Amino acid sequence: MATEIQEIDLKTDEMIINMGPQHPATHGVLRLLLTLDGETVKHVEPVLGHLHRAQEWQGQNRTWFQYQALIDRVDYLSGMFTSWAMARSCEQIDGTVVPPRAEYLRVMVSEMNRITSHLLWLGTYLIDLGAMFGFPFYPFREREKLFDLFEEIAGQRMMFNYIRIGGVLRDPKPEWFDKLKRFLDEFPDRIDEYETIVTQNPIFLKRTKGVGILTQAVAKDYGVTGPCIRSSGIPLDLRRTKPYSVYPELKFDVITFDKEGDTWDRYMARILEMRQSIEIIRQCIDKLPSGDIMGKKQMAGMRIKAGEGFAAVESPRGILGCYVISGGGEKALRFRWRNPSFCNLSVLHELLKGCPLSDIMAIFGSIDVILPDVDR
Amino acid sequence: MSQGNMSTTAKPNNPVVPEELRESVTISSIDLMIDALGQVLSPVLSPIANLARSNSVWPLTFGTSCCAIEMMSVGMSAFDISRFGSEVFRATPRQADMIITAGTITRKMAPALITLYEQMPEPKYVIAMGACTVTGGMFNDSYSVVQGVDRIIPVDVYLPGCPPRPEGILDALLKLQQKIRTENYADRRKKLYAQTSVRPVDYDTGRPLADLIGVVAEDTKAALSSGQEALGDAAKGISPEAEEGKVVATKPVAPKVEVPKAEAAPAPKAEAAKPEVKKVENTKDEAAEKADDKSV
Amino acid sequence: MTDEKPSEAEKPEDKKAEAAKPEAAKPEVAKADGAKPADAAKPADAAKPAAPAAAAAPKPAAKAPEPVIPATAGKFEQFLKEHGIPAQRLPLSLEVETIVLSGDVLQAALRLLRNSSEVKLDLLLTISGVDSNDTYDSVYHLWSYSNLDELVIKVLIKKSDVAEGDLPAVPSIANFWSAANWHERETYDLMGIRYANHPYLRRILNPWDWEGYPLRRDYKQLVDCLNDKNPHSMR
Repeated sequence: MATEIQEIDLKTDEMIINMGPQHPATHGVLRLLLTLDGETVKHVEPVLGHLHRAQEWQGQNRTWFQYQALIDRVDYLSGMFTSWAMARSCEQIDGTVVPPRAEYLRVMVSEMNRITSHLLWLGTYLIDLGAMFGFPFYPFREREKLFDLFEEIAGQRMMFNYIRIGGVLRDPKPEWFDKLKRFLDEFPDRIDEYETIVTQNPIFLKRTKGVGILTQAVAKDYGVTGPCIRSSGIPLDLRRTKPYSVYPELKFDVITFDKEGDTWDRYMARILEMRQSIEIIRQCIDKLPSGDIMGKKQMAGMRIKAGEGFAAVESPRGILGCYVISGGGEKALRFRWRNPSFCNLSVLHELLKGCPLSDIMAIFGSIDVILPDVDR
Repeated sequence: MSQGNMSTTAKPNNPVVPEELRESVTISSIDLMIDALGQVLSPVLSPIANLARSNSVWPLTFGTSCCAIEMMSVGMSAFDISRFGSEVFRATPRQADMIITAGTITRKMAPALITLYEQMPEPKYVIAMGACTVTGGMFNDSYSVVQGVDRIIPVDVYLPGCPPRPEGILDALLKLQQKIRTENYADRRKKLYAQTSVRPVDYDTGRPLADLIGVVAEDTKAALSSGQEALGDAAKGISPEAEEGKVVATKPVAPKVEVPKAEAAPAPKAEAAKPEVKKVENTKDEAAEKADDKSV
Repeated sequence: MTDEKPSEAEKPEDKKAEAAKPEAAKPEVAKADGAKPADAAKPADAAKPAAPAAAAAPKPAAKAPEPVIPATAGKFEQFLKEHGIPAQRLPLSLEVETIVLSGDVLQAALRLLRNSSEVKLDLLLTISGVDSNDTYDSVYHLWSYSNLDELVIKVLIKKSDVAEGDLPAVPSIANFWSAANWHERETYDLMGIRYANHPYLRRILNPWDWEGYPLRRDYKQLVDCLNDKNPHSMR
């Protein structure tokens, strides 16, 4: 006998869940206000500023020399790039000519820094996806080797303060290059190792394929940059589209995927970028000219000419810009950072709309946000 | 009851409850018995218990900035904090023994840190890692930074560096283990209440409640002394319809809202101050919003 | 965005073409620099953005070599003027064209710059607020996805025009770029520039009921037991 199916209008309420600021997967102190309908995310509002350390305010209140040391903390995973952005904008104003050897060294250390940044992202992203303590040991092993190299030239593991206005701090010894070459020889095998574990892993594929699709229109609307937008098929890579430093002399291609990028694509873009960085560093070692490494005298009372400049570099997270207004004095009149994480994070609510609760961390992790880069 | 107990059985070894916790903490006779028992047994038990505790100090995964990356590194194979029994990074404070405050604490983050600290079960320890949490470090004159976590929670080990090397974290951990081994059960229990009394911080403004209460009291006094017209203005300020533009324009926050509370004691307890502060926020925001709409 | 790989051949030339402009602009900067900080000079002649012709006339200032507008008017300035939008090029621009617009025409100008086929400035890099000597500036950095063009737009609001207790107002451009939403919130938070028509103008970095605008020059830092440092005691 036919049973009559009665349709009942079930009243459902939206639920607001607070995630963070203390949450192991938010890579710092981000707070997300999630509006949930059952398991589905309706709306996300990121609450920023839990790590607002007033970097821009510090820029106006410290001398140029002092502030150079501070800005590694703007984006602590890629301190070379923040230093580089500041150095470039100040050199633009000042008209400083950077010696070619210094430019090559800058490219080298920055690409090394890009590798360490992506390695850390890889480790923590797998933690986000649930591979707690197991996989992360692999990328951290290589990170330590790069840190040893950094320590040798800059004296610090993370806060390098190596790229200075006008050049670089120290010329590496010849042995350093040998060590670096040895690392570069073994590193491709290590990437293969990660890929064996991760890339075709069925669980990883299920968590990432087709999840968090970033369309080109949305990406352009929100000013997303870096691997996120390149994996969506827009070849916006400052190293090629607006080449700076010695990048025009180096051979490499922009990595893009010719479709709408999902989470897996963003993962793959970073893996490919690491391989690309190896090649760039190799070319730099081969082409490295001899000569001076500093074009401006480094001293506590350093001054920059009056004027304003904006310079951008392609950091591991996207376009990192630095807008400086100098009055000709010992301190800047205004420092303004254009942070890739800040802009990439603003697209989060578009990506999360309608996705299940369990995908939040997979998507959030894939855009690779660093909180001091957001909050400054 | 607690008061009576305290006064009548005035033994010198009684745990001392600080002033601000008198209302929430009661010391029963069972507590006193446990104390007494503990004092008898502690010479025997403490060394054993301490040895066990010191070798499995579980940290909380609390990382705000740069130092958190070094805290991660110390868990990985190169430095391997698991040699010292602290590799189990817990995501919830209820399961953790220790906070490594890795990274700058800002005014906005301070209330969350206090909540985390209070949620941890006793015995709990704090390692202030990095210059920012020791003194505020490079950012100590920033308008938004707290000058060291010891301004809001008690600290056991200070670990300077920006960021400290992973070996430094291991050293701090060893120092903390030494401290735990020399502890005495009875002493620890005596200190317990004193240590719990952290400095409360308002969740919305990130300002210490003690300061806010002082501000409110001063403003109340000022409003009362300034006379009747101030009161009239304040009464208008509460109703959201009344001249939003003016509310935004006239800066003084306190007189316009706090006056109705003038009858309250000048220094109310922490709970009393909070709603008032919230009210300030609401009226201001609404007013700002309406002003926006108007100008459009 | 075009999908072809940017060819190396044409790039150096483009660079050179752009680099030619700064050569013309640089000497003036240096001169202005000698007289007094160029930043002080900028707001002075930028103060009347609505009347570009008048601004070209030298002001009776102390410095003799008054920065003149470069002989070759900027590409974007020309473009905007053709469409009837008054724009004034700042001589201060180093490598990038900098123009000053008044707040009323900002929307119209951006609609043109963003959508027209000849100029496609469709990448909003950042919006910054600047507290200059006697103006509040809202600065927009525009790039393009498809070519190498760059443009800096400044909207200057005189401090004397801002009523006591009021905030300087600039029209929001969040209807063009969603990216502008957060940038404008941040500028509102730190510099106190009110963006009219903004969908959700709240503080973003500081707590919602924070008092004052920290990056302004007259900001008085909060002193309490969490942070009691006198910021000028050490340096």
